[in-house]
Amino acid sequence: MPYSFPLGPYHPALEEPFKVKVQCRGEVIDSATVEVGFSFRGIELLAQKRNWVEVITLIERVCGICSNTHAMTFCIAAETIAGIEIPKRAAHIRTIIAELERLHSHLLWAGVGAEDIGFHSLFMEVFSLRELVMDMLEAISGNRVNYGMNCIGGVLRDIPDPARYLPALDALSKGLAEIVIPTFTENPTALARTRGVGRLNREQAVDWAVVGPVARASGLDIDVRKDQPYLSYTDLGFRSVVREEGDVLARVVVRALEMVESLRMIREALLSLPAGPLRATEGLPEIPVGEATIRTEAPRGEAFYYVASEGGATPARVKIRTPSFVNIPAIEAMVTGQPLADLSIIQASVDPCISCTDR
Amino acid sequence: MAMLKTILGNLLRPSRTRDPADMPDVPPVYRGALAHDAARCTACGTCAFVCAPKAISFTQDPGVSVSWHFFIGQCSFCGLCAQNCPTQAISLNADVPAGMDSAAGDGLRLESVVHLQPCTRCGAAHVPLPDATMAVLWGTEEAERGYCPDCRRWAASARLRSAFVPAAAEEVHHER
Repeated sequence: MPYSFPLGPYHPALEEPFKVKVQCRGEVIDSATVEVGFSFRGIELLAQKRNWVEVITLIERVCGICSNTHAMTFCIAAETIAGIEIPKRAAHIRTIIAELERLHSHLLWAGVGAEDIGFHSLFMEVFSLRELVMDMLEAISGNRVNYGMNCIGGVLRDIPDPARYLPALDALSKGLAEIVIPTFTENPTALARTRGVGRLNREQAVDWAVVGPVARASGLDIDVRKDQPYLSYTDLGFRSVVREEGDVLARVVVRALEMVESLRMIREALLSLPAGPLRATEGLPEIPVGEATIRTEAPRGEAFYYVASEGGATPARVKIRTPSFVNIPAIEAMVTGQPLADLSIIQASVDPCISCTDR
Repeated sequence: MAMLKTILGNLLRPSRTRDPADMPDVPPVYRGALAHDAARCTACGTCAFVCAPKAISFTQDPGVSVSWHFFIGQCSFCGLCAQNCPTQAISLNADVPAGMDSAAGDGLRLESVVHLQPCTRCGAAHVPLPDATMAVLWGTEEAERGYCPDCRRWAASARLRSAFVPAAAEEVHHER
């Protein structure tokens, strides 16, 4: 006897509101429908009513986790319209902050994922590692979230003493290599809940147009940092991580290995921080008539921005497409035929960010 | 056996929870309590222009003063006001900001009054430039220190004119 089971919008596993309505036959899920839009704030419209400086502060609040990505992508778009080339040092600092953000986002995900499979001690380990990243971000930017590092033409804050962050990076590498990666990939409890669960094969991944770690865990080697390098990613020699299996374990492994790669890039960027100014421009920005389409790799995948200027004090249009917007619907394909009890870890495995999606 | 080892290891190690005294240092770039120095403020309005949540506003008492207002309930602590202030009148320092109960009503409100001064030449009320700025522009003794923006512009063009046409300098004075 089939029955339907609503999960959410107030979610037992995640902090943000979204609803999954599943049709079950006994323990097994027949089909699912995902509903989003519970925390809509109208940021795109607000952005048309604020001047270019204010919009950066506003856009930074699209997401509480990948706040820097959004502000940075918007600034890159505005710089493209105005034809501003940012100084090398600013590009390096932006890259460092973006990769630190990826680290803390992936660690947050690993913690939430561990909690979803009932592995609380791993959750504690992961979050104590994440604190190291948060302390680093706070030391550089003065804030734990919404770093306010970006301005049109460069960055607002310097990293005066890059070498002082190296010990924390060492501690993180050690924690990842000795605790997080072995536990997720070797611990029988963790493996039992992740291996072969929530499969999304390569064809499905193409059909659902997933991006970021979810796509890379299904064998699609797409990463904006490699396909269309921006900032300092060419200098730092970025290498993407791909897995073929397409299950929850593959998504865990992709994110874990991405953290290792991020750590390597942050270390390299800190050690090779070029001297020079932080900003290419002085004072308040003036953006001429024009439009720009910019893609960057947010922690959850490709973030897409379309910004249009009519030469006035405010942007004429800011279109934001976040990675979760395409990853969340793919949950419908992942949960079909899976036990109901695995629903929460499968949802969590795409790292859904609802505030981005609703924006 | 492995579990015993872990338990023993944990007993010998110090607590992994931080105690209240063991906090990370407050970074020098920390964006905490906001302070405004009326003596440096020129009421140019840049802070209000860059403030996305509109926590900063100006009111005028015509001919007497301009007031700078700040409401903490709307502040997002982005620090752009301090970053963009041309005279460094605003600073976000390391102190903990005052509590804020709601975005609508309760919370710290700051008001800082910038008194207008009469122009020493024409008498028009204007916001004086900060002392440090005036010292850089005109030194400490110059008569232009007390001028309003209009009279400063007049004085500058008069100087320019007298540099080109030395004889015209006197005429200009008489015409005014």
